[in-house]
Amino acid sequence: MELKALFIISISVIFINNFVFAKFLGICPYIGVSRQLDSAIGMGAAVTFVMTLASTVTWLIFNYLLAPVETNIFYNLLTLDAPPDLTFLKTIAFILVIASLVQFVEMVIQKTSPSLYKSLGIFLPLITTNCAILGVALLNIDEGYTFIQSIVHGFSAGLGFTLALVLMAGIREKLDMADIPKAFQGIPIAFIMAGLMAMAFLGFSGLKLGM
Amino acid sequence: MSVFREFSKGIYEQNPVFKQALGLCPTLAVTNTVEGSLGMGVAATFVLLCSNLIISLIRKGVPPKIRIPIYIVVIATFVTIVDLAMAGFLPDLHKTLGIFVPLIVVNCMILGRAEAFAGKNSVGYSFVDGLGMGVGFTFALVLLGAIRELMGNGTLMGVPMLSQGFEPVLVMILPPGAFLTIGFVLAFFNWLENRKKA
Amino acid sequence: MKDIFKLGGLLLIITVVAATALAAIYNVTKPRIDAQKQLAIDNALTEALPNSPREAIEPVTRDGEVEYYLGYESMQKQDTVGFAYIARGAGYSSVVETMVGVDTTGKIIGMQVLSQQETPGLGTKIIEVKYGEKEPWFLVQFMGRPADEVKVDKDGGQIQSITGATITSRTVANSVVEGYKDLRQIVNN
Repeated sequence: MELKALFIISISVIFINNFVFAKFLGICPYIGVSRQLDSAIGMGAAVTFVMTLASTVTWLIFNYLLAPVETNIFYNLLTLDAPPDLTFLKTIAFILVIASLVQFVEMVIQKTSPSLYKSLGIFLPLITTNCAILGVALLNIDEGYTFIQSIVHGFSAGLGFTLALVLMAGIREKLDMADIPKAFQGIPIAFIMAGLMAMAFLGFSGLKLGM
Repeated sequence: MSVFREFSKGIYEQNPVFKQALGLCPTLAVTNTVEGSLGMGVAATFVLLCSNLIISLIRKGVPPKIRIPIYIVVIATFVTIVDLAMAGFLPDLHKTLGIFVPLIVVNCMILGRAEAFAGKNSVGYSFVDGLGMGVGFTFALVLLGAIRELMGNGTLMGVPMLSQGFEPVLVMILPPGAFLTIGFVLAFFNWLENRKKA
Repeated sequence: MKDIFKLGGLLLIITVVAATALAAIYNVTKPRIDAQKQLAIDNALTEALPNSPREAIEPVTRDGEVEYYLGYESMQKQDTVGFAYIARGAGYSSVVETMVGVDTTGKIIGMQVLSQQETPGLGTKIIEVKYGEKEPWFLVQFMGRPADEVKVDKDGGQIQSITGATITSRTVANSVVEGYKDLRQIVNN
């Protein structure tokens, strides 16, 4: 059932294989932006948007330009004997696409919400180097997802990332008021919190979704 | 600028992982074994060295407006080279590191050094800077990997190091263990710094 | 406006140079990468069908896809001594693929896990070889047993499952049985 597969992909990547807590993708912005709730939500939304867009565009590029399949545009346009295998260009193509998408999103945010733009600061262009985005694009190809599956996967991965970010921000806001040993203040305690949350999320792996 | 200074700063003072919090994703993901840590460290160092060299070579001719995309293309090229070479010659390591090999391209350490150093300095110094950062990165990874593999599996590089009676702390090689280990190690280095200042 | 064309053009040139270099390297490494994949299959086949020299093992294909492998006694390819098939099952966190070899009476004579991404330290114990030994202890339990009947102890069978990795253990056992049933169907047709 198409829908069931999509539902499984979605629940899986938000809870069972959460990008931050289980797959270790998106850690840098996770540590950098999870101090306040609103910037966490803003960042999460931006990342989800870019992830969904990126999943779409990279899937199309791979399946129509790079992969040695029937639908390869070069194969059809240049009437070659066999579809060319350009899969080795995957990394370059994907990262350039992502960099452009992030530029685009940056411009959009600057126009529509200057306050969000300011609070995200340097972390906005840094979304390009967010391994979660390139990660989800690569995973879509590795798992052999269809077009719709890739989009759902990208969107849900973004949701999972946002969930992790928001949970963390909520806790860190409280942590700032707590009495933490000097050596642990700042990043170390954030990692320890993440570790405890990862432990909690480990519990989700008992969820068998009839995969 | 001395060659030694530029090299050694990457090892401790400006260690990419412990002091600059760069390249955290692979740090957490591959450090459940020392083998993975070493493999990733060497691969990333190779990419860093090559990209630093090329970017430093072309630094005078790069229009500032498009320098970031150009850096990205250069870095992505070397990452792809490493990816292909590893798949062809070290397939087991390639399987262990998984998608984190292509993800080297978004390792902020590499783009960071390109932007902060290689784009402005000579080839010689850029090479040394890259080497220092790479070694520092590898050192950080191997340290974390050793802690996690030893406590979580009782082995180092697959060789059992502790007595048979040792019950491994499984969580150490699972995701939570990654976060906890780096948290404690970072706290330790902070504590060292605080003592130096006091 | 002209600026954008100049900058874009430069970026394009650099990308084309990079792509060309990569294409060259790909041409060099692709044969090796394919060879590695074949090597993995070869190793698995040798492990699964120990009574047949590798040259005497042949894939049986339909529509270009390998359905199973036939193992002959020798290069003369007179007597069939075994079959090998790839058992697949959804494990705990990945699909576990195992090459299984059976003799003509349906008893398991060799197994090798081809791919898995199970929990390190738990599910991955299916390929764990104890220090000093040669074979993964978990798989050794399957040897000599009928491929259409292996079950883990938790399901009333003889295979001791891995502590804390019931699901992975069960997946391996069940996939062996399912694969064998499929094999029999294909061979009999």
